[in-house]
Amino acid sequence: MKINHLTIIAKKEFRGLLNEKTILLAILLQLFIALFSSFLMVGLTSMYDPSSLSKYSHSRYSIGYVGNESQLLTNLKASPDFRVYEMDLSTAVAALGQRKLAAVIYVPDTRPDAQDPVKITLYSLQNDLQTAIVDVKLKEIFLKYEQELRNIRSDRLHEKVIELHIQKTSGGGDFFEFVYGLLIPLLVFMPAIIASALVIDLITEEYQHETLETLLSTPITFVEVVWGKVLACELIVPIQAGAWLLLLMLNGIAIKNAILILLQVLVSSLILILLATLTALHYRERTAAQFIFSTALVIVILFSLALPVNPLNLITRLAVGTAGMEQWLLLGGTMLVIFVLAYLTQWYAKRISKTHKTS
Amino acid sequence: MGTLTDIATIARWEVKKSFTMLGRDVLPFAIILFVLLVVVTAFAAQTGMHLQDGMYVVGVDDPQVADLLASDARFTVYSMDAPVLLKNQNAFDLIVVKGTVYSSATEKGKAAQKTLERDYSKYVNSIYNTENDLFAAYPLWIDTQSVKSELNFLATQSGQYISANPVRTAPVPEGEIKTIPTPSATLAISKEELRAGLVQSNAKNTQLSRYTETLAPSSPIGDFKTPSQLSPPLPFDSIILIFVFIFPLYFTSQFFMMSIMNERIERKGEILLSTPLRTSSIIIGKLLPYFFGMLAICTVLTFYIRASPLILLPLIPVIFFFLANALLIGMLSRSFKELSFISIFFSTVATCYLFFPSIFANVHVISLISPLTLIVLTIQGSAWTVTDYLYSTSLFWLTSAVLFYIAARNFKEERLFSEKKLFTRMREFLSEILSQKHPYVSLFLLSGFSIPFIFMAQMMCLVLFFNIPMPYSLVFLLLFAALIEEIAKSVGIYTMYARDPAFLTWKNLILGCAATAIGFLVGEKLLLFVTLAQISDSIFGSILFLSLGSLWLPLLLHFTCVAIVACFLKTWGKKGYAPGLVIAMVVHCLYNLYFILGWLL
Repeated sequence: MKINHLTIIAKKEFRGLLNEKTILLAILLQLFIALFSSFLMVGLTSMYDPSSLSKYSHSRYSIGYVGNESQLLTNLKASPDFRVYEMDLSTAVAALGQRKLAAVIYVPDTRPDAQDPVKITLYSLQNDLQTAIVDVKLKEIFLKYEQELRNIRSDRLHEKVIELHIQKTSGGGDFFEFVYGLLIPLLVFMPAIIASALVIDLITEEYQHETLETLLSTPITFVEVVWGKVLACELIVPIQAGAWLLLLMLNGIAIKNAILILLQVLVSSLILILLATLTALHYRERTAAQFIFSTALVIVILFSLALPVNPLNLITRLAVGTAGMEQWLLLGGTMLVIFVLAYLTQWYAKRISKTHKTS
Repeated sequence: MGTLTDIATIARWEVKKSFTMLGRDVLPFAIILFVLLVVVTAFAAQTGMHLQDGMYVVGVDDPQVADLLASDARFTVYSMDAPVLLKNQNAFDLIVVKGTVYSSATEKGKAAQKTLERDYSKYVNSIYNTENDLFAAYPLWIDTQSVKSELNFLATQSGQYISANPVRTAPVPEGEIKTIPTPSATLAISKEELRAGLVQSNAKNTQLSRYTETLAPSSPIGDFKTPSQLSPPLPFDSIILIFVFIFPLYFTSQFFMMSIMNERIERKGEILLSTPLRTSSIIIGKLLPYFFGMLAICTVLTFYIRASPLILLPLIPVIFFFLANALLIGMLSRSFKELSFISIFFSTVATCYLFFPSIFANVHVISLISPLTLIVLTIQGSAWTVTDYLYSTSLFWLTSAVLFYIAARNFKEERLFSEKKLFTRMREFLSEILSQKHPYVSLFLLSGFSIPFIFMAQMMCLVLFFNIPMPYSLVFLLLFAALIEEIAKSVGIYTMYARDPAFLTWKNLILGCAATAIGFLVGEKLLLFVTLAQISDSIFGSILFLSLGSLWLPLLLHFTCVAIVACFLKTWGKKGYAPGLVIAMVVHCLYNLYFILGWLL
């Protein structure tokens, strides 16, 4: 195998990618997925999380209160989020229907230390965005009231609870798990998945467009063609993954061990690419190869996620700086798998090139 | 009758061809992989996903607390003595000393503390659930009742708060007041049933709900909730089911795409085209097996999850949409790489478009723009009306029809086997549906039918720019909404010009622009006003669909913008297209700003 033959093939594939501008589409796709997933996360949580929402809305919601004096009424009146009106039930619900109130609470005369629970009724508008927000704000008040009732009834509790005192923090930390535990591994591994789908296209195309014969009439051998394509696909992985990491860092997301992350991605993506190569060499037809490979890909990803230490988890650990010795063990393990797969690919490609010569 | 026989013949060929291809050696592998998939899924379900293991480092002085924390794999727990912990506090994200939690001041520390809080409340609940006196542990129960808003549809559903400045005195409702019976003070459900419900909802915490911790799963005991269960309902199970439905559709449409692509490789489809069959018969014939295949898969899935067959109704337009796009992508792309990327890109965008609104299924009416919301509703057992159906599927029916028409007109030798660039090919495809004889009618229809596509593109922009902080998101939305509209409006004129530069005389230019502007206005009015009035109520909507107000102003705007691009084209040729677009976009934005913010007043 000659190195410059490999680079010739790799260069040819790069030129093709640049010519068709498909790589642009691929990058756009990843950007889209990233933006969309963060939209889902940030948008949704900020919609439901009152602490992050309060930054935007300073409005006080009008609440109808029906029933006698209670600790709940005191809590509601003390809250800066609500303006409480004591009303009778029918009037209050009618006002709610005309959106003059945001919610109506009915509180019965159950004593705080009674045997039965205090059952309150909460009337709110159906299918309404504002209701969702008001519910979240009311929840805090209700939780406080629940704790007060629980304290009154505490002598009736028998099970012992380990006591932990957790101080209130000043907000923040909401999206940490999402960014480091999902977005970063996803973004960094997406180029690997794209590269493996690409290698199938590159190989099957030579067969289906019948360009292989022309290629093999040059001094380049079939084995070199295969490895050249693998090389081209492997090279675009760190470029894209590195660009993602850089982009995230520019966005103010501190990522530790960026070089080690790239190393891990580089190595584990080779597993996917080699698997894809073997599939493509076997079927030599795009539909079948892509179908079988994408099913296999789901299995491989699901299986590795089920293992306690897996490449995706390792990316998370590296990015937050809690990875230890296990990263080198994992690297060794993936290398072992790669050697087996590389040997298989070499053997298979050689066998195929023999049949080419005889035919 | 002849056409039907033709279609049947083509369909039979298609089935035969794909089966011989599949039968060879894909099927055995596929079966093995399927079995493996089931095994791996079961394995993963048992061990859980280990994506976030060991994110946080925690130091604890009490072995009991250490056990409690170690049950969450996200924590790496170290047990040490209190003085040692306090001395090395910086090495940990959290330390627990004598029952008090101290977190480091970093984002990571705060995130660790939030995780701990959730774990702790789950632990406390699990203890309280076993409490003999359940009502001492859970003394407060909330019965949630929803009230239908009596105000008109638009105002109530847009999520705005109607009442003017809040007043000191209690609000007084207008009109007659219906008497509401006083709710009973006792729960209608026995204590043990409540306990079972609590245990169930506490156990519902899977790895998935980690991301949705603030969105509690719906309570299994009807409308009765404890305060911690009081959260807007998120139909999480249903959303997973949606993916179960969409992925098979995606895969099957891939086969269709490849079948079209294969006809084009090495001019294999030439034989088919040389037969006296009509192109529409060929397309329908090739498409039918995949359509019935998709429908069959969906039916099987529906029966498997024991859902109502009503689910299939909203799925049919989605199937058509996937097939229409697959057909066009298969006809457009030049190489496998291009096919892969365009199809992945398309399916991601389409899935997002389908998926995103359905999240709000129980919260907001905007969710109805996705047919999937109807599926979520059906699975939940809520009813939907014919109007709902039309509202959520009309865009899909329309866009599929337009795409099928474009594909049918272009399904011929010179288009299928050409090796030109992607954008040139797209232009040629468009050029085919623009009639030479009746250019103005074509332009009118083209810009009218571009509306659903524009709407879909703008909806996606809304989703994307939501990430950016508030003032910028509005600016971007403003710019991109205008740009998308201008591209759509000018593409007809551009195609005409590219086909025959001599076409663009001054008279033709003005008439063409007028036809485009009127077509656009009519399409906009028809579609947006009928189906999408609800969204146009919010501030984002007012940017997107501002031009709904009066008639002559938007018409003038459309005409001016297209005319700008056309003049640029006439003067500088194709090079003038991009600058012309930019100027038109700026004009459009200024117009929008004038109306939204009154800047120029």
